[in-house]
Amino acid sequence: MKENRIRILYIDDEIHNLNAFKASFRRSYEIYTATSAQEGKQLLKEIMVHIIIADQKMPVSTGVEFFNEIKDVLPDPIRILLTGYTDVDDIIDAINKGHIFSYIKKPWDEHELHRTINNAYEIYSTRRQLKEKIAELEKTNDELNRFIYSTSHDLRSPLMSVLGIINLSRLDNSVTDPNGYLNMVETCVLKLDGFIQKIIEYYRNSRLEIEYEKIDFNNLLNDCITVFQPQNTDIRFQTQVDQELEFRGDTFRISVILNNLISNAVKYQKPDETNPMVHLAVKVEPHKATICIRDNGIGILSEHLNNIFKMFFRSKNNNKPGSGIGLYIVKEALNKIGGTINVESKYGEGTQFEITIPNRNEFDT
Amino acid sequence: MNSIPDLRVILIDDNEIDLMLHEKLITFQQISRTVLSFLNPNKALEFLSSNISLPRIPPTVILLDIQMPEMDGFEFLQAFDTYPQKIKSQCHVIMVSSTLDYGDITRTNANPLVVRLLRKPLLLKELRETVEGIFKDFV
Repeated sequence: MKENRIRILYIDDEIHNLNAFKASFRRSYEIYTATSAQEGKQLLKEIMVHIIIADQKMPVSTGVEFFNEIKDVLPDPIRILLTGYTDVDDIIDAINKGHIFSYIKKPWDEHELHRTINNAYEIYSTRRQLKEKIAELEKTNDELNRFIYSTSHDLRSPLMSVLGIINLSRLDNSVTDPNGYLNMVETCVLKLDGFIQKIIEYYRNSRLEIEYEKIDFNNLLNDCITVFQPQNTDIRFQTQVDQELEFRGDTFRISVILNNLISNAVKYQKPDETNPMVHLAVKVEPHKATICIRDNGIGILSEHLNNIFKMFFRSKNNNKPGSGIGLYIVKEALNKIGGTINVESKYGEGTQFEITIPNRNEFDT
Repeated sequence: MNSIPDLRVILIDDNEIDLMLHEKLITFQQISRTVLSFLNPNKALEFLSSNISLPRIPPTVILLDIQMPEMDGFEFLQAFDTYPQKIKSQCHVIMVSSTLDYGDITRTNANPLVVRLLRKPLLLKELRETVEGIFKDFV
């Protein structure tokens, strides 16, 4: 017996129908028969069939009643109802209660029944393949989650130990290091850690559910400035927040966007600029927030402007260390929350990013 | 800052280098003269349960790592939560981890046994301030 043969259970109280069915179809399919719904249920406990055909008019329970009873336990087999009478109520019942695929009139036409069986089987296998694919995807997703979690930990924890050792050596002055090698080690470790953190940020942006919360842009910008000011204490930060209305948005992604853009504004300053500045402006409207981040830094070459949001793209006109992932993350995060970004830049003069983010606050509700 | 004379510190971390680093920091800052290091959280639990018979449990700070094989920081806390109040009330848990995982961070902040989560590398200033914060009412 071939494994991939279509397995059919046919239930009918008239034994000669069962015999006729077997006689016509036994060469094409693997056929099981039962003379009552009760017997059919018994059989289904033992055998996994693909298609169930049932007669509607049977003494104890009808075909529809039978399908209705088994649909929760056995949702997978495709159901076909056979009947000698065309009663509209039966048809409606069959479709609504019994979740049947097709309705066939007795006496059946052999070709029609063949075709119906094959169509039914196709649906059965498509559904099964879909289920398998979903299970596979869920497994891959789950593995990816665990992979990222453990990689981020396993990559970072030795780096943090290195930083700890460097800190300790400074505390107890136990290492003579006239050439500042430890500082170089620290710089490299911090750079690598920065890259790992960006990768985790990218991953979290793509995986984390979007959550809308109340956002106070004054607080958010101040948090960012507190983080970045120590990196270059010469920079003058100017903020201008025009928020009269409540704004709701995804805090994690909006912070990611602001952090990356402000980090760039701080990093790509001209070394000889006497008055380095970063200007941050926010305007909240009922439907959106517009955020503008402007600096007087080195600027971006116009021929590079089209590429800056591509993954791992790095402008060649600067000698600053970068991973080429920051603006890509910004773009991805904006895509997630339905925002847009525009950039204007003059090489040697500065750069301005303008982003808009939809306001998810529902006024008047 | 040796203001609590019989303060002891228990370190639990599966990484020997981090244990050494934390021990040195505590000695350097003179937070405590007694530092007990455990590579295995189960051994720390065993030690703590052997304290039950003591007439008086000394004030204790526990620096607890999160990710460890066999038993992680959260599993340690779950087991430790079943210990008698007599011991728990004297033990102050500071989690120390390099984790960036949002789930780890929220779980740590939600745990009533945990005073604070400190990032690795452990910084002298943060450690000192956290320990001072715990015992500010004792001085």
